[in-house]
Amino acid sequence: MSLWRLEILRLYRTYRIWILLAVFALFGALGPLTARFLPEIVDALGGGVEIAVPTPTPELAMAGYLGNALQIGMLAIAFVSAAALAFDANTEMSVYLRTRASIRQILMPRYAVNATAAVVSFFLGTAIAYIGTAVLIDAPRLGGTVVATLLLAVYLAFVVALTGVAASFVKSVPGAALIAVSVLIVTGVIGLIPQVEPWLPSNLVGSFDVLISGGAFDYWRSLVVTIVLSFGCVAASIALMGRREV
Amino acid sequence: MRDEIVGARGITKRYGNALALDEVDLSVLRGSVYGLVGPNGAGKTTLLGVLAGLRKPTDGSFTIDARRVAVLPDTPKFDPWMTAREVVELSVNLSTTEGNSDAVLDRTGLFEVAGRRVGGFSRGMLQRLGLAAAVVGNPDLLLLDEPAAALDPAGRREVLDMVTDLRGDATIMFSSHILDDVQQVCDTIGILNNGQIVYEGTLDQLVRGTSHAPSYLIRVRGGGARIVEALKSCDWVTDVSSGGDTVTVSAVSAAVIERELVRSLAPIDAAIVSIAPVDRSLEDVFLEVTQ
Repeated sequence: MSLWRLEILRLYRTYRIWILLAVFALFGALGPLTARFLPEIVDALGGGVEIAVPTPTPELAMAGYLGNALQIGMLAIAFVSAAALAFDANTEMSVYLRTRASIRQILMPRYAVNATAAVVSFFLGTAIAYIGTAVLIDAPRLGGTVVATLLLAVYLAFVVALTGVAASFVKSVPGAALIAVSVLIVTGVIGLIPQVEPWLPSNLVGSFDVLISGGAFDYWRSLVVTIVLSFGCVAASIALMGRREV
Repeated sequence: MRDEIVGARGITKRYGNALALDEVDLSVLRGSVYGLVGPNGAGKTTLLGVLAGLRKPTDGSFTIDARRVAVLPDTPKFDPWMTAREVVELSVNLSTTEGNSDAVLDRTGLFEVAGRRVGGFSRGMLQRLGLAAAVVGNPDLLLLDEPAAALDPAGRREVLDMVTDLRGDATIMFSSHILDDVQQVCDTIGILNNGQIVYEGTLDQLVRGTSHAPSYLIRVRGGGARIVEALKSCDWVTDVSSGGDTVTVSAVSAAVIERELVRSLAPIDAAIVSIAPVDRSLEDVFLEVTQ
């Protein structure tokens, strides 16, 4: 039993991996279904009132998927990651680990396994959304979808790293998750400033709609900043947790 | 030359204005079973936490001359979805030596339930699992924080037996406020009170009084009045009292009483049945030292 296997078992035995997969898979299926059958749904619920709905397009289906999946999915990723990264929440287990391994040895598998789980879940949801859209409406642009999915994967890895650094400020699992989500919301608000937006990790979220619609790739700045911040968060959490007394 | 495995000099630990440890000096000899005794809130857990590297002292320094140190918290807990075997195997993986999980699980009486998830374990089983996880890496130094405090008498007995079995394999530092436990398994003790070490030495010295006013009990035939009168005139005697056919005499030190008592009794024509040192209970000494 190694610390890597411990993290894989944690995800599997606590059913957290299934929660992540289910969240993204569910929205991956609902996105194209909702877009394709929105006119029929509105007709059925409208009670005779005529409501104008947009014509179903691949872009609309994929945007619908991402909008819902990211909201709930990010919350799920933050809580699942916090449950692993805020390991000081259980003092006795923390003593067990801290007296046997370095903080870096403890944290690295937790980051890697949880980031991988988040990314794999997102890939699954995107694949389901893509196939569903292709079957029900029309195939979205493959190249744009792949690039946007990779950018979002980097962003989700950043969410895990951010949760880790939050766990070095508070010991509780909900506390760490909520701090991480709050920071993401605040960066989203800061992103409303046009001059700042291209540099923020939250800019990567917008890449999905743009690239699937055939827009130009203009995300190098936010990509580099997100990668640098992710490594910075990991390094900071290792340093801060190493100084913490339990 | 004393073979010291733990040496602490002037360890002080403050939490804000609260002083948890106040210039603690400590010396644990290799191979000993050291009992860290003190009332609740004396600073035992803090001191063990400092020695385990889990807390930083505000002042002072300490050295640990051991390659492998294992720590057992007072109420061990593990991720409830892990099996007992996985907990022990993780410890083996994280230790620098080879460890035999099955042998340790067997030694701690957990072999039969090794495949069960620990979420359903009783406190006693968790304590034994904690001990198994601690010893499987063959530690040179084992820090046990109140390992039997929360257990029922049978569980306590099991854990104390296990600690006794470990004697010779590792140096053990064992904190407890249950004096009977300490008296059963420890050979050296340190008494911690209000963050200060108020006594450190062997258990034998403490209970037989070589470090405090020692006493001897003299059994006689025909009453001890003459012995009391004779001893009262001796300048090395601090206290003497008679209770029928017994006389209790105290002196400033064990060395003095051992040297002078028989010499002082020789001229008295008394029928002496026996002379023996008075063993006080650790509880008596503890209360005397801490009050």
